This record gives sequence, structure tokens and C-alpha cells, in this order.
Amino acid sequence: MSDSRRAWTVPAALLIAAAVGCRQDTQDVRGGAVGDRTLPQSQPAVLRAADTTGLPAEGALARVAIGDIAGVGNNTLATQMKNPYSGDMAAITQGQELFVGMNCAACHGYDLKGGMGPDLTDTYWRYGGSPAAIYKTIFEGRPQGMPAWGRTIPPALIWKVAAYIESKGGAFPARLADRGRQGDLADEDTTAGSTLKGRNNVY
Amino acid sequence: MNGRGRREERARGREVVRGACAAALLTTMACGSKEHGARTAELAAATVPAPAGVAAPSVAARGAAWLPEGATDGDWMMPSRDYAGTRYSPLTEVDTSNVGTLQLAWTFDDGESHYGHEMTPLVQGNTMYIVSPFPNRAYAIDLSKPGGQVKWKFEPNPSPIAIGKACCDAVNRGAALYDGKLIFNLLDDHTVAVDAATGKEVWRTKLANVEDGTTMTMAPLVVDGKVYVGNSGGEMGVSGWLAALDAGTGKELWRAYSVGPDSMVRIGNEFSPFYSWMRGKDLGVKTWPANAWKHGAGAVWGWVTYDPESKWIYYGTSNTGPWNAAQRPGLNLWTSGVFARNADDGMARWAYVFTPHNEWDYDGVNENVLVDLPIDGHPRKVMVQFNRNGFAYTIDRTTGEVLVAKPFGHENWASGIDPKTAMPIVNEAKHTVPPGRWVRDICPADIGVKDFEPTAFSPKTGLFYVPVQNVCMDYKGREVSYIAGTPYWGAHMSRHTGPGGHPGSFIAFDAAKGEKVWEIPEDFLVYSGALVTAGDVVFYGTIEGWFRAADARTGKVLWSRKLGSGIISAPMAYRAPDGHEYIAVAAGVGGGAMTQASQPGFPPRGSTYYVFSLGKNVPAVPPQTGAKGEGGAPQKTGGKP
Repeated sequence: MSDSRRAWTVPAALLIAAAVGCRQDTQDVRGGAVGDRTLPQSQPAVLRAADTTGLPAEGALARVAIGDIAGVGNNTLATQMKNPYSGDMAAITQGQELFVGMNCAACHGYDLKGGMGPDLTDTYWRYGGSPAAIYKTIFEGRPQGMPAWGRTIPPALIWKVAAYIESKGGAFPARLADRGRQGDLADEDTTAGSTLKGRNNVY
Repeated sequence: MNGRGRREERARGREVVRGACAAALLTTMACGSKEHGARTAELAAATVPAPAGVAAPSVAARGAAWLPEGATDGDWMMPSRDYAGTRYSPLTEVDTSNVGTLQLAWTFDDGESHYGHEMTPLVQGNTMYIVSPFPNRAYAIDLSKPGGQVKWKFEPNPSPIAIGKACCDAVNRGAALYDGKLIFNLLDDHTVAVDAATGKEVWRTKLANVEDGTTMTMAPLVVDGKVYVGNSGGEMGVSGWLAALDAGTGKELWRAYSVGPDSMVRIGNEFSPFYSWMRGKDLGVKTWPANAWKHGAGAVWGWVTYDPESKWIYYGTSNTGPWNAAQRPGLNLWTSGVFARNADDGMARWAYVFTPHNEWDYDGVNENVLVDLPIDGHPRKVMVQFNRNGFAYTIDRTTGEVLVAKPFGHENWASGIDPKTAMPIVNEAKHTVPPGRWVRDICPADIGVKDFEPTAFSPKTGLFYVPVQNVCMDYKGREVSYIAGTPYWGAHMSRHTGPGGHPGSFIAFDAAKGEKVWEIPEDFLVYSGALVTAGDVVFYGTIEGWFRAADARTGKVLWSRKLGSGIISAPMAYRAPDGHEYIAVAAGVGGGAMTQASQPGFPPRGSTYYVFSLGKNVPAVPPQTGAKGEGGAPQKTGGKP
């Protein structure tokens, strides 16, 4: 894990957000909310490395291919990476607060139904809808205006935002990551027990 | 926001939902109307005939100084045709007696149906010019060839980052023809000039960084060797500006900000606002909390007009940022207002703020039409703006004095405009500060009683022809932090149709008296611009896709055709090489019209330009010309979006 530890700095914008602009929205950034496994409670906003204990290694994430590219090999190990916070209600709540506080909601909608940015609940994923793909999209940004948050938001919080998005039903479970890479075809999953909302699913 | 991949048709439900200049993310349009509010009875009034003998100040008689150099009566070289912004055509072949026989002559499709079409086609001589929404492709069409033949195509390839930074669709509002060049803005903050004869790029100037949330959607005004351009991004925490470029080289000559110290706003000794609350040093800083002006918007995404006699330009400034007004106590000058400036050096002559401390997203960017009207029996040089906030302002354009300010549609946020101070008298119940609570039924909604879609003015009738929206909102402010490149917005909102049952209408308005003359109710917002001709015919379109012609004096609808998509562009008239009058309009719904996307009957997007002429002028069988494959629509090229 040592090579995956990076010095995460909280840039000025986030500090301002935490300290002035929207105290409620970004309280999680300072570790104030219940159930935070990665940040100490009640800490003031300071510059320090983020704790990545228990999170997937950045090196593994780097091997996850961007979705919507036909014929991307068989590199399934990394793509099927699970979100350590999937289904964790406390983490999902924190993810929601960050989703609002970092202005994600202003583009994607407070209900995640889209606006300036795409709908995140409709199972159509231009760049993949698996947990790892969503993480990478948040981390790296995407060409049509999605900012890159990797230098701004610590890994644990990106995973929590992803957990919040997953909780809204549009994302794909990690086991379907391969299909997720096929972009909009992934919602046609008909495997037994699928809980996806795609048009071809009886569920 | 719109799937552009292999299966883009499956990006259903991902339409850009946003108000014009409104990050409308969450808008749920309720169909039911709420029966309260003030001025509804007026709106519901039936059509009444125009008063006889309406004063007829003649724009045409002003002469060539009000038109781009070289323009004939059959040309249309800038979006509003003349510097005054009237959108009046002196052509008379199509009139009230024969407009009922208009027929489709030809169509053209620019292939960019993902985004709204808010532009007006231009014509000079034998050539029509259009600029598409993102990726801002330009086309020249040879009108001397049957059906219009593509002469050249110009692909500027702007950055796709801009798509996700544009609050309200990746639109473009048009170009200007000047000195043999077609000049227009790219969504990624460049202004570009193209040789009108060849389609080759002459110059390209970068004005801002799109990554920071600035985009450019407005149509430049070009006059006397200068190109005037402004920015978009009122929902992205930008500071607004208007820049002047050298028309020959593209070099930036000066830039006047809408916020900040007087040095940035280009306020000097010549600045003389009419009202005392706008006088003082550095009010673009002092009317804000510390440093808040730096992200205070006042973007210049609307129209610029020009008075060739005074050589002053006029333009409006956008909403104040963020929407959540609790974060910016103060008057927040010079956002949500209008500037008069020297065209030459950009120094301000006067300013007026329509909506000080704007709590409702009422931008001030709508067109300022420069006409001479009789006020209380005396001819006055005025500018008329139909503002988002629901009031029609008739302002002395030499002094900035508000002469008439009356509602032209349903509003309830203010009971009037104080005649002494010209400040709005705000309805206490409609304040959105403090935030964090729902304020119900504020009229109009953020998109206003009228948005950017331009009016037309006929010097023959003396009337303005105005698209009207009847939409209200429930609004809840919330705290927001500035993060570069993301929305700096701070509000929850949902919109609903206002009282009276009609979401929109098209009206004739006497700006000298502040009175509506007639009204045509419509089942959707009216989000198209207007055209009025010397044949006393006025044209407009509906979001549903109806393109209509009405009698400019009575409002009687004389002709309607359903087009392939909703109409949010502004129609124009030109004389073709065959000597006949043609009417052109683009049908491609988008922009703020998408706020009605959930309404039954809402059309699909589109990207087609329709050209109409009197039936007798349209050949039943097109003559055979040229080699096969020479004409027709251009092929869409793959690769870059």
C-alpha cells in the first residue's frame, strides 16, 4: 500500500468551503459527521495526508479502463473492484453532503436526475457505471465539462460520493463492471437476481 | 448532458433542463395554474384593435447610418438587422393580404440537433450565412442556386469542455457580417472572423478560460471597425465583461467589467447616471461584501445596440451571482442592469440597474431597442427594454431617466417602479432572503416574463412585438461555495404556469404608454424572437413548433405552419437573387425552452432552417442544374463532436 499513499492536500477552495461558505454542507470534510472511518472526529480543517486505510490501491484503480470504449481487453480484476462504502448509510449521507457542498448537485441535480450534467440515475453511463469507473470519472474529470476532483477531494470522500450515487440506483454493481464498460448496453443485464432498473429487466 | 456516443438516441431524459441563464437543474414544471396574483386580469384581456394614428417614428427614415455598411433593403447583415435592434424589414412583397399563401421554398439542416437554435440567419447579396450551436460550424449558402447550395463550411472545433460549462444549452445567438467577414463567438471563449467569400479563418482571439466556467453564446455587434463581445456564465461565478476587438485583426482594444472598481468598469469623468443611488466612487466594489464582486456575474450574454448619432453602445448585464442573495447584502452594482458607453473607448456614460440586489435571477441582458417615441406629446430618444423581471422600461437613452416602467405580463415580485428613484417596490412576501425556506409563487420565474428572445419594433405601427412567458416559481435559497468551474448558484426551484392558464403569449405593446395593445395566447411559453415587416406582418414561433404570421395592427393570426421542432430562434426576411421576399427561421428547440420539456406536446429537438416565400414564387418543379452531388445538405463529419 505504500506506493498508493499520496500526500493529499486540501486546496484553498475546499478550505474556504469548509470554513466559510457552507459549513453544513462540508462538515464531513473536517471529519465531523458520525460514522466516518477515515477522518478523526472534530478536527479543524488542516493540511495533511488523507488516510487511505482500507481503500482500493490507486495503482489498481489506474488499471481500470474508461467506459464506452469498445473492445477494451479482459482486464476484469481491477474493474470489478468494490466500493468499500457501498450500502454504508453513514458514508452515503456524507457522500450526499459532499455532493451538494462541492456543487455536484448544481450540475447533476439535487435528485441526481441531471441538468447541465448528465442524469446519474438512468443506467446510461458514458464512461462506465461500475464503482471503480465512477470513482475514476470523479477523480480524473471528463471531457465535456466534468471537473477533475482527484487533487481536491481525498480518496475516502470520493468513494463516499460514489456510494451515494450508487445508492440512487443507476450505477452497476462491481460484478457487472465488464458490461459497464460497454456504456449504455449495461442496463440490459438479465442475469438472475439483477436489481438494475434497465428497460430489459423484469425487476 | 446529451449523449453523443454511438447510441446517443438513448440519452433520453437527459435533456438539458435549465432556464435561460438559469442553472435550472431541478425544475419540475407543474401544469396547474395558481389563481392568485396581481395583474392577471390584464393578461387575460382579449385582443383589441390598435389605436388609430399611433405615432410612427421612422427607423427607416433614419437612413444608412443605422444599418451595417453596404446593407440594402433586402439584406440582413446582423441579428437585429439594424443597430437600433428593431428587427424590422422594409420589404413589402409579403403583406397582410397575401401572407396566407406563404409556402415552403427550401430547407437546410446544420446537423447539430443536440443543442438549441437561438440564432438568426444572415443574408448579404446572394449568400445566406448561418452559425450552428456547438461546435459552432458556419455555413455559407448560395441563394442563386435552386434550393440553396452550400458554398463553404467552416469548422472551428471549439473545446468540448465548453458544453458542460454552459448553463443553458450549448447555444449560439448568431453572427455579424462586416467588411467581408463573418464574425461570431465560439462557446469556448473565442471570437473568430471568417472570410465571407471563402470561409477561411482570418483571425481568432481568445477572451477567457472556459475551464473556469466562462462561455460565450452572444452575437457580436460590429460597427466602425470594432467588434463588441461579452461573456456568459452568470451561474458559474464569473465576473461579467464586454470587450472591444479590432475588426481587422481581432486584437483586444479594451474590456469593461460589470463589477469591480471604476477602473475595471471603465467609469470616469463622463459617467453620469440619472439616479443618485448609482453615483459614487467604486460602487462596483462598495455595494458588495468584501470581494464578493469577484464572482458576482453581470455577464454580458445578450444583445448590444448602437446609436450612430451619439456613437454610444447599449447593453445589459446578467443576474447577480450567486442566486442566493443572502451571501451578498448590498445593491450589487452593476449587475442586472444596463450600461450606455462610448463605442470608441468604452467609457461609461450612464448606467441603470433594473433589479438591485437581484434575488430572483432577473437578468438585465435583454435587447435595448433604440427608437424615438412620443412621451407625453414630446418626441424622445429612448431605449426600450422588456426585462426579465416583467417590466417594460422606456428610458431616455441620452440621460438614463426612466420615463415609463409598466408590467407587460404577469409579475408579483414588485408592485411597481418608484417614479422618483426608479427602484422597484418589492413585495415583502417575495423576498428570498433569508434562505433555507420555500418562498412560494414568485412571478415571474427565473426565466422571466421575457428572456433573451428578441422583440421587434415597427416604425409603421409604432408598436413593439413581444414574446411573453407566464411562468412562476417556488424558490428556496441555500448557501453555496465558489469552486472554479462549477455552478455558483445556491437555490432550489420549481416552476409552474402562472395565472390565466396560458404559459405564454405574443403581444403588441405601446412602449410610449406602457400598454398592451393586443395579445395572442399560446399553449407553451413563447420563446422565439419576433420579426415585423413593412408589409405589416409580424412573425413569431412557438415551442410546440408553430410558425405564425399575424397582422401587426390587429394581432389576427393570418398564417401558421408546424415545423419540425420548437422555435426559439428569431425569424428574418430577405430579398433573394430572384427579386422576391423570403422569410427564414430555424426550428431547434433547446435553451430555456427545455423547462417545458415534460409538457404534453413538447417536440423533439431539431436543427432545420425553413425558408418561406409567396406560393407564386416557389417553382413547382425545381429546374435541373449542375452535376449530381453539387448541391444539398453537407455531410456531417465524424470524429470531433
